[in-house]
Amino acid sequence: MFKSQEMEINMGPQHPSTHGVLRLKLRLDGETVKYCYPVIGYLHRGIEKICENKAFFQGQVWTDRLDYCSAISNNLGWAEAVEKLFGITVPRRAQYLRTMLNELNRLNSHLVWLATHAMDIGALTVFLYCFRDREKILDIFEAFCGSRLTTTAMRIGGLLEDVPEGFDKMVKDALHAVRTGLVEYETLLSENRIWLKRTVGVAKLNADDCMAYGITGPMLRAAGIAYDIRKAHPYAAYGEMQFDVPTRPEADTYARYLVRLEEMRQSVRIIEQCLEGLPEGPVMAKIPKVLKSEVGEVYHPTEAPKGEIGFYLVSEKGGANPYRFHVRAPGFFNAQAIPLMVQDSLVADVIATIGTLDIVLGEIDR
Amino acid sequence: MKNFLKTLIPVELAKGLLLTGKRFIQVMFSANRGKSKLHLVDEYPEVPAKVQPRFRGRLQLLKDDQGEIICVCCNACVKACPTNAIQIVPGKKEGRKTRVPASYGFEMERCVFCGFCVESCTFNAIALNHQFELAVYNREDMALGLGGVFQSIDKPSPVAKFSYSGEE
Repeated sequence: MFKSQEMEINMGPQHPSTHGVLRLKLRLDGETVKYCYPVIGYLHRGIEKICENKAFFQGQVWTDRLDYCSAISNNLGWAEAVEKLFGITVPRRAQYLRTMLNELNRLNSHLVWLATHAMDIGALTVFLYCFRDREKILDIFEAFCGSRLTTTAMRIGGLLEDVPEGFDKMVKDALHAVRTGLVEYETLLSENRIWLKRTVGVAKLNADDCMAYGITGPMLRAAGIAYDIRKAHPYAAYGEMQFDVPTRPEADTYARYLVRLEEMRQSVRIIEQCLEGLPEGPVMAKIPKVLKSEVGEVYHPTEAPKGEIGFYLVSEKGGANPYRFHVRAPGFFNAQAIPLMVQDSLVADVIATIGTLDIVLGEIDR
Repeated sequence: MKNFLKTLIPVELAKGLLLTGKRFIQVMFSANRGKSKLHLVDEYPEVPAKVQPRFRGRLQLLKDDQGEIICVCCNACVKACPTNAIQIVPGKKEGRKTRVPASYGFEMERCVFCGFCVESCTFNAIALNHQFELAVYNREDMALGLGGVFQSIDKPSPVAKFSYSGEE
């Protein structure tokens, strides 16, 4: 009389919890996910191909639009890759300022992640508190780079301009806001029984699977592996900074939440060190006006808020633009693990999985 | 037994509620009191929004003290533009040695507001002004130029018909 049947449904691409335009094909048995197939490419713009047809300095505009929540990290990775290709040394003051901007950007990205992830799960208050603190960081970007979201902050060889007036105070205000904010988020979430029920043991991905899928960033560190490119292969001014790499052994959504919160504390620490030890000097190296490349190739990984973002550049002799431009986007590799993480879980946990991955479709589809 | 009692009394939820309640009361007693720090929201369309000095808005062709366009059509901005948003047709004007643009076309639809054109300009002839309310009703209004049917690029006037800020 009663028969059961598996049902296939689409989640997305226009579902608010899929963080953009991710589409998931789910085969359900009741509420249990039997099979999941992520469909990507709805935001494909051909950024890699466009950049191959643009001069080296113009490519930065498209790196803004890879992961639009952390534009400065992308700018930094791109700038360092190009500088590595041409053998340019960046002045020390510019390195410090870059590091500071990058860490502010990490705070910004993690605040957006916490806000949207908590809202997906049902905690709206955290969303409002996070965006309140994020506003101050965006103001710093606007004062420094001239834009809030698509910053175009770096230049090949350094930065365009030195710090604006009243920069110190702005940064200190923002850090104070984040530090007091972190206490509030923890009060609202860390012990909250609803939050614990929705996150503890959800979307597990152990260390072996993380390694197999090439997962990096907070996802990997929440599985117990203390790999951080800022420590392992220091770039910019990270070699001179004191900070810890937080890890957790549990490898679930709650562990990732704790790791990211601790990372924000470490970011605050790094920014304070940058402010204290900011050296004097120029912010721009002397570079030729027109860059002509020699034959060469370079891969430069940096630690974006979501994981390892790498820029791969191949150049030809006398070329004004890269011969090949490839982006190793952290979100793309992290999103591969969705089918594994949601296997035999509930539909509601799929939402938590997407949230904990912290994916931005701009860099996955490129 | 102790754990069972803990589940009955939601202490941690009460802590969260206490925090939001505290904030609520603070804001309630300080709202509409002008310069209160807790009053976070800008009253934007009524009060013009303030932008930072380095803000990159739309492109504007600058003029010198005599009211003449400084641009000499060197095409540096055209080459620097990543999205080919600028086209210049050079022209001549009596009583001036250098060239002047007969038309300076700026397609704002394509512009990404990166500011590379301003950096490339050695004559300080262009700037990205502080105007950010760039919504228009017709697509053609997005194309800026000199004279004719175009919206003027040499004036800081707002593109949109109704604008609250950008009057400098």
